[in-house]
Amino acid sequence: MHLPSPFNPSSPHALATAHLFTIVLWLMAAIFVLVTGLVLYIAWRYRRRPEQSEPRQVFGNTTLEIAWTVVPTLLLVLIFGLTVNTMSTVDPPVAQEQADLRVIGHQWWWEVRYLKSGAVTANEIHLPVGRQMLVQLEAADVIHDFWVPELARKIDMIPGHPNHLWLRADHAGIYLGACAEFCGMEHAWMRFRVIAQSPAEFEAWERDQLENASSPDLPEARQGARLFQEKTCVSCHAIAGTPATARIGPDLTHVASRQMLAAERVDNTPATLAQWLAGPQALKPGSLMPNLQLTPDEVQLLVAYLETLR
Amino acid sequence: MKDTNKLAMALFIVSEAFFFILLILAFLYFQAAAVADDANSANTLEPKKTAIYTALLLSSSISIWLAGRGNNDESRKKFCVWLMVTMLLGAAFLFGQAREYARLLSHNVTISRNLFGTTFFTLTGFHGLHVFAGLTMLAIIFGLALAGDFPNRQSTAVETVSLYWHFVDAVWIVIFATVYLRIL
Amino acid sequence: MSDISVSVETAEPFPASDEQAGLLGWVASVDHKKIGILYLLNALVFFGVGGIEALLMRVQLAWPHSAFLSPGAYNQIFTMHGTTMIFLVVVPMLLGLATYLVPLMIGASDMAFPRLNALSFWLLIFGALLLYFSFVAGGAPDAGWFSYAPLSEKPYATSSGLDYWALGLLAIGAGTVASGINLIVTILALRAPGLTIRRLPLFVWMVLVNSFLIILALPALNASLVMLLVDRELNGHFFTASAGGSPILWQHYFWSFGHPEVYIMVLPAFGIISEVIPVFSRKPIFGYAFVATSTVAIALLSFGVWAHHMFTVGLGHTWDIAFGAASMLIAVPTGVKIFNWIATMWGGAIRFSVAMMFASAFLVLFTIGGLSGVTFAIVPIDWQVTDTYYVVAHMHYVLFGGTAFATFAGVYYWFPKLSGRMLSETWGQAHFWLTFIGFNLTFLVQHVLGIVGMPRRVFTYPDLPGWGVMNMISTLGAFILAASVLVFLWNVWRSLKSGEIAGDNPWNAWTLEWATTSPPPVYNFTQVPPVRSRRPLWDLAHPDKPDWAA
Repeated sequence: MHLPSPFNPSSPHALATAHLFTIVLWLMAAIFVLVTGLVLYIAWRYRRRPEQSEPRQVFGNTTLEIAWTVVPTLLLVLIFGLTVNTMSTVDPPVAQEQADLRVIGHQWWWEVRYLKSGAVTANEIHLPVGRQMLVQLEAADVIHDFWVPELARKIDMIPGHPNHLWLRADHAGIYLGACAEFCGMEHAWMRFRVIAQSPAEFEAWERDQLENASSPDLPEARQGARLFQEKTCVSCHAIAGTPATARIGPDLTHVASRQMLAAERVDNTPATLAQWLAGPQALKPGSLMPNLQLTPDEVQLLVAYLETLR
Repeated sequence: MKDTNKLAMALFIVSEAFFFILLILAFLYFQAAAVADDANSANTLEPKKTAIYTALLLSSSISIWLAGRGNNDESRKKFCVWLMVTMLLGAAFLFGQAREYARLLSHNVTISRNLFGTTFFTLTGFHGLHVFAGLTMLAIIFGLALAGDFPNRQSTAVETVSLYWHFVDAVWIVIFATVYLRIL
Repeated sequence: MSDISVSVETAEPFPASDEQAGLLGWVASVDHKKIGILYLLNALVFFGVGGIEALLMRVQLAWPHSAFLSPGAYNQIFTMHGTTMIFLVVVPMLLGLATYLVPLMIGASDMAFPRLNALSFWLLIFGALLLYFSFVAGGAPDAGWFSYAPLSEKPYATSSGLDYWALGLLAIGAGTVASGINLIVTILALRAPGLTIRRLPLFVWMVLVNSFLIILALPALNASLVMLLVDRELNGHFFTASAGGSPILWQHYFWSFGHPEVYIMVLPAFGIISEVIPVFSRKPIFGYAFVATSTVAIALLSFGVWAHHMFTVGLGHTWDIAFGAASMLIAVPTGVKIFNWIATMWGGAIRFSVAMMFASAFLVLFTIGGLSGVTFAIVPIDWQVTDTYYVVAHMHYVLFGGTAFATFAGVYYWFPKLSGRMLSETWGQAHFWLTFIGFNLTFLVQHVLGIVGMPRRVFTYPDLPGWGVMNMISTLGAFILAASVLVFLWNVWRSLKSGEIAGDNPWNAWTLEWATTSPPPVYNFTQVPPVRSRRPLWDLAHPDKPDWAA
């Protein structure tokens, strides 16, 4: 996957910014070269020669000063025009449309709800290529910020003040995102990814996400399922199709289908999942999931169960 | 000759004025966004009662002005008397504030009750603190006057403290108008 | 030309014979020169502390997934680094120079209120102690130097770190406002005869304008801090959304202080540059009126741009466009000064003393910082790069490449006046090059890190292509910077002991501070020279072509 840079735009919104940024950077470079060039030239040309007397005392030149005030101002007016123009492409109006997606920022994970279908996931957003979705951004605790540079501007998620963002990817792929407003201990590991798929693949994914978890076949996994219900897991996590409905932590109905765990902290494999269950604080200190004091056997059983939740 | 003391006090007043403007703006902002039925200015405050204490405070501006005139006329006794009157009026205002606070608290209108409580107590509390600081300054001037200071007309100390005292009164006028009379 | 103020006689400072010797002499002093030096020493000490905090951060970030510092420790350290550098280093450093130099530059014998001056300094120390005590009282503040709500509120910030932060800053802020008032009154009321406002040295002019900024901006910080304390300690609801409060209100109020604050941190630096460049170019400042007027423009505009720190809040395009426009506008008076300074050097006979080297580097580095700043005024660009390492790069280019380089220029320029001895030019050149190289190595690459997606305030990061290498380069640069500070300290130490004796006016400069001994006597001047122009000493040295006849 490529660098999450605004210079790798994959949407019309990000492209408009990339264009503007490129023009502006060239302009800034030119001004920098001018100023530095002048300073270096002056340092060479007007260096004091030995026995040189005081140079001609010049107090100013009003015409020149007006010129170098007016020219930058005009330049800025031009840039301002480009700015206003680009803003409406980068951040189109929302009007009264109903959101497709609700993303709620928590310390330190992303709750993702597809409003039209009812699918629920965490830390991973799937999009159909070429179709834009209206995302409603909220926060459950402190201020967070939703930033996926290749696709869109960043925008804050503020408790009590929902924001909206048009999200669209024009090419299939994985786009990395991050929380971009310091939100506490594990801000660095509040990251996410947007996975853009063909419309057919997206619909298949969404259908899978809507299915309830079924009772597992294998004995280890069945024991794990029982443990899940018995231990305090249900106080925070929901698994559709079971009595677990809490929304304090990420929904786990399809946890095994996700690419990463703990908001991009580690890959999603049985080994890392076991590591997480054995001690979340070791991987992500400050995380609100406590150490459940599980025995290694209990961990193994739970992993066996959770791995069936695709 | 530029009076450095008064210039310094004027600058300080400008600075403090900004501080109070921000607290007042916070009060107004949350008042506009408030839920109708909970405790608010209209249903908890008693402007008429507070108007009495307001009048006392504003009178203290007059009395301190009179004190200043007395000082320039080299009549120390008049100076001390009017200064004492000012302090008593200021103290009476604070007493009135304390009674109002007590009444509000007894009705469970506290700083943590809702945003009216938070903004009201913060704003009036800091104003009261400034009045108290003013009273302290007045007491110091009074003590010095009794001890024989300010024998001549050049005392900028009294004029400087007066400036501060007028400022504190002016702030109260704005607070009374916006919080109690709800003119905005 | 009418004189606005002729006042020289005011309340007398304590007579010289009351000044104590030794340590007590320093602690009890109300002499602006001693207090100025105390401010500078304080800034130096905390520059070291803040620098160590920075080094710790850079070590942690040198490679991905490092476990050198825990996230909790890192978050306290980055918060304290920012808070320390801004409130305990940059502002005191500039106020210290102002406290020392302003009375001398206007021909006065002290500040208008010497005791208030001392109080300002001791409030700074008190506030600093409160702030640092938090480390041993349950944890330092850890919500960033601008402490956004609700993260700064309970239950999210549970240690008392934020309470110490608020109280410490309130104490420091009170002292700063007092300094601002003191400087304004001093400049308006205590100028030597003939020194009209239009003849003020530009450093003094910038300090005057800056002091107005201080007395108008600090109240916004004070209001924000008391409101936060009310929320935290008395269960108020100003900034907690759950009770109807507004986290966004914190941002509006804080940045109403925070934006003018960055100009408070740079205007005196502009003043230093405006003194150093003319003297070492051997020409007067090019366009005094423009430079002075543009300073006022900056001060006025600085109150109208705060919400450019909030472009990602979602205030709506109207707000974003308005503040974007204002932010672009403020670039003009800031930028034109660069041209004025360059034009001052043009046609000069430039002597590249270390002071002039730092001043010249300032021109280039501040331009970089200023240009990246303008990119933030371009709202869609801000929407991508704010809250990333691009903004960390920008702020360090303006504050370090700008203010710190200007301060070093000022130190090399005025050290002879303060101490009576010259700083070593050889060690100074070593200091300069280490600083220049170390600084650029540390921060240039951070522009790129921001542009490839690295957010700010992260204790670690994923192993994405290039991120590790760039962070390592930045860390190496930081260690070179650390070395440069050691070289500087060595230069100061060695020069104080055995530096070349400076004499009254080693640089052949033209403003009044050079018309007395180095260091000056307690009462500053035996006799103030006549003032008929902006360069009284030039007039004395060139009776055939004085400025007032030009």
